Amino acid sequence: MKDLIKYIVRALVDNPDDVAVIEIKGKTTTVYELHVAKGDLGQVIGRNGATAEALRTLVSAVSSKHKKRVVLDIIE
Amino acid sequence: MKDFMEIEAKTIDEAIEKACREYALPREKLNIEIISEGSGGFLGILSKRAKIRASVLSIDMDISGPFHEMPRSVSKDIPVETQDVNDIDIDMAETSRKMIEGILSRMGFPFPVSIKESDEYILLNIKGDGSGILIGKGGQTLDALQYIVNKALNKNGKERKRIILDTENYREKREKSLVTLARKLGEKAKRIKKPVTVNPMNAHDRRIIHLALQNDKELVTKSKGEGAFRKIIIVPNKKG
Repeated sequence: MKDLIKYIVRALVDNPDDVAVIEIKGKTTTVYELHVAKGDLGQVIGRNGATAEALRTLVSAVSSKHKKRVVLDIIE
Repeated sequence: MKDFMEIEAKTIDEAIEKACREYALPREKLNIEIISEGSGGFLGILSKRAKIRASVLSIDMDISGPFHEMPRSVSKDIPVETQDVNDIDIDMAETSRKMIEGILSRMGFPFPVSIKESDEYILLNIKGDGSGILIGKGGQTLDALQYIVNKALNKNGKERKRIILDTENYREKREKSLVTLARKLGEKAKRIKKPVTVNPMNAHDRRIIHLALQNDKELVTKSKGEGAFRKIIIVPNKKG
């Protein structure tokens, strides 16, 4: 999952080397914190949050297969 | 055949792949020199393109040869492989396919992807396993994937070809069901002689509804609302 998020986000941003994903495992829910360069925040969020929404859709498609809840948090 | 070839592509990997195709030889049989790495963009979308020089590896060639003796200016004297528009399109289709396959394999769905290309768009068909997990509710997973690939590939520079993703014939099925829905709601509007509102939809789906009813003289279709809430209203014609 971490790898997936990183792969997609790296393709979207201008500074792929600054992309970091931190995984925080919980009992039922796993949180993924996404860190990007300041200038790339807009790229990851998108107009009206469209990109962030698309990212979350993909992430939850995968997690539903594993019957786990996943939260993708974009860190400012 | 020339002794060597200079090849430009979005990434080094692509350039090498192209070189292999040009020479019809596997990578191990080629001597590849990297002239310019391109400026780091993950998919090579950023301004500078990667450039390599490829030649057939012969036994007497010193592989560890003095690369530094190849000054960059040399490239100016040599006819550089220029790419025509077609080549760039192939690149884009290939790049998008690679990206989709990359995402799919990381999602745990290592499905093969085939390319169909027209002047306006690149159609990537994912051969699914029939479970529909890639489609998602109302096609949202497929749409999310399509949105991301379009965004990543049309990131910088001018808008290029649109990428359309399909799997298990979903797009066609979806269009059929939307047309059926449009006709049904159109009949309802005529029957009750009042406007009928369709659920909010994205631009592509709304277009299908508009088109399905555009030839019906007794109905007018309008859109109302903003962004994700934009929806179609089917209005019966006053005279009808």
